[in-house]
Amino acid sequence: MSVQFKSITELRAMLDNKLISAPELTQESFQLAKKYKELNCFVTMNEELGTKNANTVDLNDKNASTLAGIPLAQKDLFCTEGLRTTCSSKILANFIPPYTATAVKKLEDAGSITIGKTNMDEFAMGSSNETSYFGNVHNPWKKGYVPGGSSGGSAAAVSAGIVPAATGTDTGGSIRQPAAHCGITGLKPTYGRISRWGMIAFASSLDQAGPLARTAEDCAILLNAMSGHDSKDTTSLSSNVPDFLEDINQPLDGLKIGIIKEFDLSDLDSEVQARFEDSKKIYENLGAHFVEVSLPNISASVPTYYSIAPAECSSNLSRFDGVRFGYRAEDIDDLNDLYIKSRSEGFGDEVKRRILIGTYALSTGYYDAYYKKAQQVRRLIKNDFDNIFQSVDILMTPTSPNTAFKFDSKGMQNPVELYLEDLFTISSNLAGLPAISIPHGQVNSLPVGLQLIGNFLREDQLLNASHIFQQNSDFHLAQPSLEGF
Amino acid sequence: MDQETVRTICYLARLEIDQDKSEKIQQDLETIIELIGSLQTIDTSNIEPLYSPLEMTALTHEDLENSDNKKDKFLENAALSNKDYFLVPRVVE
Repeated sequence: MSVQFKSITELRAMLDNKLISAPELTQESFQLAKKYKELNCFVTMNEELGTKNANTVDLNDKNASTLAGIPLAQKDLFCTEGLRTTCSSKILANFIPPYTATAVKKLEDAGSITIGKTNMDEFAMGSSNETSYFGNVHNPWKKGYVPGGSSGGSAAAVSAGIVPAATGTDTGGSIRQPAAHCGITGLKPTYGRISRWGMIAFASSLDQAGPLARTAEDCAILLNAMSGHDSKDTTSLSSNVPDFLEDINQPLDGLKIGIIKEFDLSDLDSEVQARFEDSKKIYENLGAHFVEVSLPNISASVPTYYSIAPAECSSNLSRFDGVRFGYRAEDIDDLNDLYIKSRSEGFGDEVKRRILIGTYALSTGYYDAYYKKAQQVRRLIKNDFDNIFQSVDILMTPTSPNTAFKFDSKGMQNPVELYLEDLFTISSNLAGLPAISIPHGQVNSLPVGLQLIGNFLREDQLLNASHIFQQNSDFHLAQPSLEGF
Repeated sequence: MDQETVRTICYLARLEIDQDKSEKIQQDLETIIELIGSLQTIDTSNIEPLYSPLEMTALTHEDLENSDNKKDKFLENAALSNKDYFLVPRVVE
């Protein structure tokens, strides 16, 4: 029986009913990864340790979790002890971490099997996976098209059915946008819900780990395992973690959904608009009602983000100096030369561009005008959300203004063109709010995503609204033909 | 933004830009600075900056000694080290 395109819930049933064993399931995943090697969604496979762990996982233990024996893929910015972790950068091309990130450790402690590390935009800086040192990832729905980014390898691996779920990280849309472009479900939790310890930092006040999966229910299973306070990350929340599956089947009668007036959808492709209107009707039929809401400062999200994120990135990436880990240049004259050559030869163009912007925004004379100003606007954006969530339960937008696009077709002449891809996703990172993308149809045979944004710590509402939508539609069941791979 | 400013920022960030790419980088930086400069039109008087979404809840923990020091493993990742130290070019004559 094929395991390709099966959800965690389906694979759990197969394992429990002894239709397949954990070692067989893991081997099937490795075989699928090999078969679709051309997608380029993996940077490093974990065959030896993954096989060993699958052979030793005890499915008969009465305390075995839902994830026991389930193969997963990890974005290559989560440190994994003894397993190469590159962040898809030349500067970390040979880095073997001495410890495992808390989020991954929790998933592995629950019995899941890490089969490999997925390709991504270098240091998670990009929306198309085209900045990876290890090459582009193809969208499983169309060869030569981007899978979105930065968690493009994770999204492609799930979309192609190689694994039922994968980890990602989301700094400005890096889970939700690739989930939308690849036709799967992706959740960015509340900032602080999941420990960031062992995640290679891009922008520390925005980065958040989360799951990419075939269904909202599977995202809830992963979120249950990944969440919780970690003493190693002082920004991880101490709030109680609910069981995210508990209320997932609640009816949606009376759910109030806000539509953000400042996002003018009439500028979008008419088919993208049509899918959005169709989904509104589905929610209306399920008992939800819509209200138009105003977030007056939300249009400033993109410039705010592109001041704050590069500033934090320039600070975080100063640790890559060629001395303690990572690439070290040869033929150097002195210590300063070692820093400059190691960094200049090790980082790609987009990473350099963002470090330079951040350095500029933080430099004497510009700090107040760019960095501090952006953090002030950030508070205005957060205040807008605080006000709106007093009158609505969730907000709904498209995830991305477009479907997946061809390689090398965007942002080559003007990087801002690609930055605008993040228009709908960025504001929830600035405010620290949870948001999810679920598939809701196709335009020109490419998937389109619907985004729901929730109030602080209300992932339960997002998962509930997404699960009920998926119980009453079949968009999430659509599979790519994988033609040409 | 002129070439001199680009050179200063590059030095502050310890980055070198290839000569053939420097004009493109200058253009890109100008475009991005123009984008973030658009925030200047928003009135933020009396608004406190929001540096983290968790400003009220960030936790601290006691600074206790633990046994997590994996010196040998950390040194293994350095391109140049001896058994105790990371090695760098001589900085003191």
